[in-house]
Amino acid sequence: MISGTSEGPPGNGVPRLIPFGGGKGGVGKTFVAANLATTLAKAGHRVVAVDGDLEGANLHTALGVPRPRNSVAEFAAEREEDVRKLLEDTPFPNLRLIAATRPNLANPQPSHALRVRFVRALRTLPADYVFIDLGAGADATVMDYFMVCDDGVVVIAPEPTSVENAYAFMRAAFYRRLRLAMVSAEVRKVIALAMDERNERGIRTPLDLLREVKSIDTEEAHRFVDVMRAFRPRIIVNDVHTAEDIRLGFSVRSVCRKYFAIDAEYLGYVNHDSAARASVRARRPLVDSDPRSDAAVYLARIARKLIAPRIEAAEAGVSA
Amino acid sequence: MKPLTEQDYYETLDVSRSANFEDIERAYRLACDTYCEDSLAGYPVFEVGDIEVLRERIEIAYRILVDPETRRAYDQELSVQAEHTAPAPTWRASGEEPVVEEVRPTAPVLAPLDALDELEEGEGEWTGARLRRARLRQGIEIEDITKVTKVNPTYLSYIEEERFDGLPASVYVRGFVVGYAGVLGLDAKQVAASYLERCDERRGTGKRRLFARK
Repeated sequence: MISGTSEGPPGNGVPRLIPFGGGKGGVGKTFVAANLATTLAKAGHRVVAVDGDLEGANLHTALGVPRPRNSVAEFAAEREEDVRKLLEDTPFPNLRLIAATRPNLANPQPSHALRVRFVRALRTLPADYVFIDLGAGADATVMDYFMVCDDGVVVIAPEPTSVENAYAFMRAAFYRRLRLAMVSAEVRKVIALAMDERNERGIRTPLDLLREVKSIDTEEAHRFVDVMRAFRPRIIVNDVHTAEDIRLGFSVRSVCRKYFAIDAEYLGYVNHDSAARASVRARRPLVDSDPRSDAAVYLARIARKLIAPRIEAAEAGVSA
Repeated sequence: MKPLTEQDYYETLDVSRSANFEDIERAYRLACDTYCEDSLAGYPVFEVGDIEVLRERIEIAYRILVDPETRRAYDQELSVQAEHTAPAPTWRASGEEPVVEEVRPTAPVLAPLDALDELEEGEGEWTGARLRRARLRQGIEIEDITKVTKVNPTYLSYIEEERFDGLPASVYVRGFVVGYAGVLGLDAKQVAASYLERCDERRGTGKRRLFARK
């Protein structure tokens, strides 16, 4: 699942999958995803918004669909094979929804094999963009969806807890894709070891790990560097109050580069705006209910950047 | 990307080789912010000891790159190293030897700042929200404007939030807005005129309203 196409606007009939994660709950993932999806739909793109949070579904509410008839839960319970039948209309012509309501609480999450099948099915949907709104945390049920492309979106709020979780989230995503890309059993073992943050070999950063891998197998080291280069999470800072909050995005980017050798991109920020809260209460995307509000202006800008052709991944001197 | 200790000074500051004076100043300020003791972005990852080393490197990198003369000398050295790939650097950061392997251009962290900034606002009315966007884009805090204009920060916030009822008479508001716009380097006269029109209209004190009443 590592080789997601993510260049520019899709034209080959395959939708571009864009996951929205970030580790911590309550930072506005759903708000941001719902509004960006609505913005693109209003601009004429065909968008499907998928709620990936079976244990805390609320994307449908954010999009103004009070009682979805279908749900990912049907797929998880293997009662419905055809993902197209899960599509739900929204108040916006080009935007459709796959909700995550009514899960089987005894066993809400689909198995790994089912998740893989689900993602494969999403790629066949008649859409330009498929957004996946992820739940909190960084476990396998979340991470499998974040791995659908190299440049998933990480939503951060300007507070220590969120920043801390975001690093953990990006770290988890990076090691996961690394483990998948490696071939040799010995190297995989070292990676598994490094994933334990308190490993005895003192491997703290991906760069430490790269050194270890290099000493075992140069070919694997090259693959390692490829994964490192390709992985470009994109950061959105939500609910900023001050100019310092805005700089946080640049700082996180800098720390990612220096400490994790991960080349994150700063996609933009959304200003704190009481209109945002009002829109959530009204169960309507802000960009629809109040398109001239401050936050809506920022969201529209982020939407433009989100689908812009990718700037060539920094030839950032990653050397094996 | 290389381990911190192997990065050249451009990489340390996250600027391109062709960065100008402003780029370097800006990158340095960001680095100081990011790698200070109580940095929001840094505290989850910094471990005791390594941030001091990094700060020291940033300081040295800045001092060398910000001075055209030392920078030229350093550039020369980098190009010599690139030719011979013989690691014999004389610029040392506190005793540790920067091992320069492949010198490749690094995409500067701050390059997308400008891309991030285009808001496509163009002409039009100056609302409180637009003023705030213009302020935030430049990384200026309310307190910074107060320092220059001596206008009470509460009033400045009210101007942005358009809480017109909390603001004094229009003649004062005009002065505040002129000061505010001046700090941002905007056309103060035009901004104040536009904002005041809006303010007067909302408060029902505008000329238009007076004429309409008679």
